[in-house]
Amino acid sequence: MKKECMAMLLAGGQGSRLYVLTSDMAKPAVPFGGKFRIIDFPLSNCTNSGIDTVGVLTQYRPLELNRYIGSGQPWDLDHTDGGVYILPPYQSADGAVWYKGTANAIYQNIGFIDSYEPDYVLILSGDHIYKMNYDKMLQRHKASGADCTISVMEVPWDEASRFGIMNVDGDDVIVEFEEKPKTPKSNLASMGIYIFTWEKLRKYLIEDEATEGSSNDFGKNIIPTMLGAGERMVAYRFEGYWKDVGTLDSLWDANMDMLAPGSGLNLLDRKWPIYARSVSAPPAFYAPGAHVAHSVVSLGCTIEGAVENSVISQNCTVGAGATVEYSLLMPGAVVEAGAKVSYAILGENSRVGAGAAVGCAPSEAADKWGVAVLGPDTKIEAKRTVGCAMMVDKHGQEVAR
Amino acid sequence: MTGLHGILFAYEGGRGLGELAQHRVPASVPFGGRYRIVDFMLSNLANAEVTDVGVVMEGNYQSLLDHLGNGRVWDMTRKFGGLKLLPPYVGRDAYRGWMDALRYLKSYVEEIRQEYVLLSNSDVVVNLPLREGLDRHVASGADVTVICTSNTDSGVEDTYFRVDESGKVTETLHRVQKTDGKRSLGIYILSKELLLKAIDECAAHDEYNFIAGVLQNSELAPNVNAFVWDGFAVQIKTLKQYHECSMKLLQPEIRADLFCRERPIRAKVDDEAASYIAPDAHCVNSLVADGCMIEGSVEDSILFPGVTVARGAKVKNCILMKNMSVGEDAQLDYIIADKGVALGSGTRLAGNENYPMAVAKHSIV
Repeated sequence: MKKECMAMLLAGGQGSRLYVLTSDMAKPAVPFGGKFRIIDFPLSNCTNSGIDTVGVLTQYRPLELNRYIGSGQPWDLDHTDGGVYILPPYQSADGAVWYKGTANAIYQNIGFIDSYEPDYVLILSGDHIYKMNYDKMLQRHKASGADCTISVMEVPWDEASRFGIMNVDGDDVIVEFEEKPKTPKSNLASMGIYIFTWEKLRKYLIEDEATEGSSNDFGKNIIPTMLGAGERMVAYRFEGYWKDVGTLDSLWDANMDMLAPGSGLNLLDRKWPIYARSVSAPPAFYAPGAHVAHSVVSLGCTIEGAVENSVISQNCTVGAGATVEYSLLMPGAVVEAGAKVSYAILGENSRVGAGAAVGCAPSEAADKWGVAVLGPDTKIEAKRTVGCAMMVDKHGQEVAR
Repeated sequence: MTGLHGILFAYEGGRGLGELAQHRVPASVPFGGRYRIVDFMLSNLANAEVTDVGVVMEGNYQSLLDHLGNGRVWDMTRKFGGLKLLPPYVGRDAYRGWMDALRYLKSYVEEIRQEYVLLSNSDVVVNLPLREGLDRHVASGADVTVICTSNTDSGVEDTYFRVDESGKVTETLHRVQKTDGKRSLGIYILSKELLLKAIDECAAHDEYNFIAGVLQNSELAPNVNAFVWDGFAVQIKTLKQYHECSMKLLQPEIRADLFCRERPIRAKVDDEAASYIAPDAHCVNSLVADGCMIEGSVEDSILFPGVTVARGAKVKNCILMKNMSVGEDAQLDYIIADKGVALGSGTRLAGNENYPMAVAKHSIV
């Protein structure tokens, strides 16, 4: 059946800057905020915005992600007509190719999109934490008569050179796009969220595919080409919390933002719920000697020690006499009795042995401070020390960033 | 794999549960911070790979209907079979007992695809390896297997079994005052064939009680075997018992038994973020579900999803159900607050160990 607007979610990236956390899973499957995974945000935004057809483009280590999305039911995306579809690269009569770039991934699925005869296609990334009503953006796209609408937000001027910057006229029509400009003319940064009029995008995808030497990438090729050809490109200003969690530091930051009332990331707000696949676990247990302050704790946890300024995901254990501060514990992480975890990310089902220490506060760092990270299933032996900015993989080996 | 079908009876009791059962049958009373009581038996069946379950309901079942939905939580939304809700026919008298109910549901029983049927109350809080119980039943060649416990303080009803060393039930004592032998958990396994025969037999004699009509009928069921399960098991009859049993969940060994990882108890999804504990909050010896916001002090309590405890409030020995809110500086002791109750700033409410106080659904104090 025809859909006015459908979404295509780019979830195939490796997320190499998350290092050990994404050694076995794609970035969108990385746990976030105690009970979510990153992909819950765009999927829930789609449902809340009335978009019921979503293609999820996967390529790198898709197992965890496929299993997590399943039928799409947790996000109310299990429709008979539409719903969520996992779209891996496939073999055809002409051979098999991986997704060569973001634009090529969509190009390879033109047939899928055509089957819904959409007027508009929303392109999303699987590595951003935000709550956004895509329908408002769509209304703006329609009202402005644009061929492409790009969601932007104002960033601090001194950070603008790290983003793709949109230079706009008085009506927010985009006149120029600069990728990471040294001297930015505007502080409107692209959020990697696009709405295209499908007919137009379809044409440019086909042309781009035929262009030799193209990276087949939205930011590098499609957007500049459309702009150069004089298509009507409009900026849609978004206000609210948005964070790219593509690096260990930004992932840690975004989790800490959950605890900061002023950050704008309020996940307890029910007006725009974020859905997640739920686990069968009893409520969290706070033992008689527990101390928990300024932290979030999810189902299935047992807290016997002290937890401050931290995000504790489902089924974690913090033993007696252990302390956890300014840290993110991913599902199933265990901190044994007397261990100390400070400014760290503990991957899923990792374990910090009794009396061991992971990470340290910036004030204690000798030279270069950074968040300490344990990969999924990593075991730290009792009394071992893992210094700040260190990463340990599942074999217990320290790896460099 | 041997087929087992479940029939849960969810139509009686609740008189002792006061406000909690005002709008519900005991099966749909919230329990344990995120469950309804029926979740336990349904999960036991699901964990034994039972997909076809009928729930016999009558009177006050709206809340149970809402909760069960299509049975997806327990993987019972199936193309064939699955969860079937069995409400009463209009205009008939209340069911007098299981066999009375089954007589009216005979056509349903006839359609059962499995060889064996499990009959149980829907309001037993227990985590059981039912597959083991079924295997034992089949291997023993018994007519009926009764599931019972040696813990005479934790059983569920006034039925006891004298059991010999081989596990055979030598005597069934029904409606007895003093404890004697193994106490029944009110869960039975028998073949579909025998059940159909029993329905006819009981109808012919107007016998409506399963124990009197089947277990104590030596012609119908000469061989009764016991499957003894000594884990945590209760059927909650009164508010005081509700409070006591809830508080037992604060003991690690009871949680380990009731919420063991191999046989998870499945609950409806909350769609709430993880709970937030504020910088000056105090939260000890308590169970807290998702979506709560704790700024005050919580001790020895159980909090369901979405509970807020404002600054300065003190909550002790309480059970606070979904979306309940406690205002600033309020003090609560031995309170069972139902869904959506809002207690304003400075409210002081106290029950005591023997008389926990229940506050009805959506009350505003």
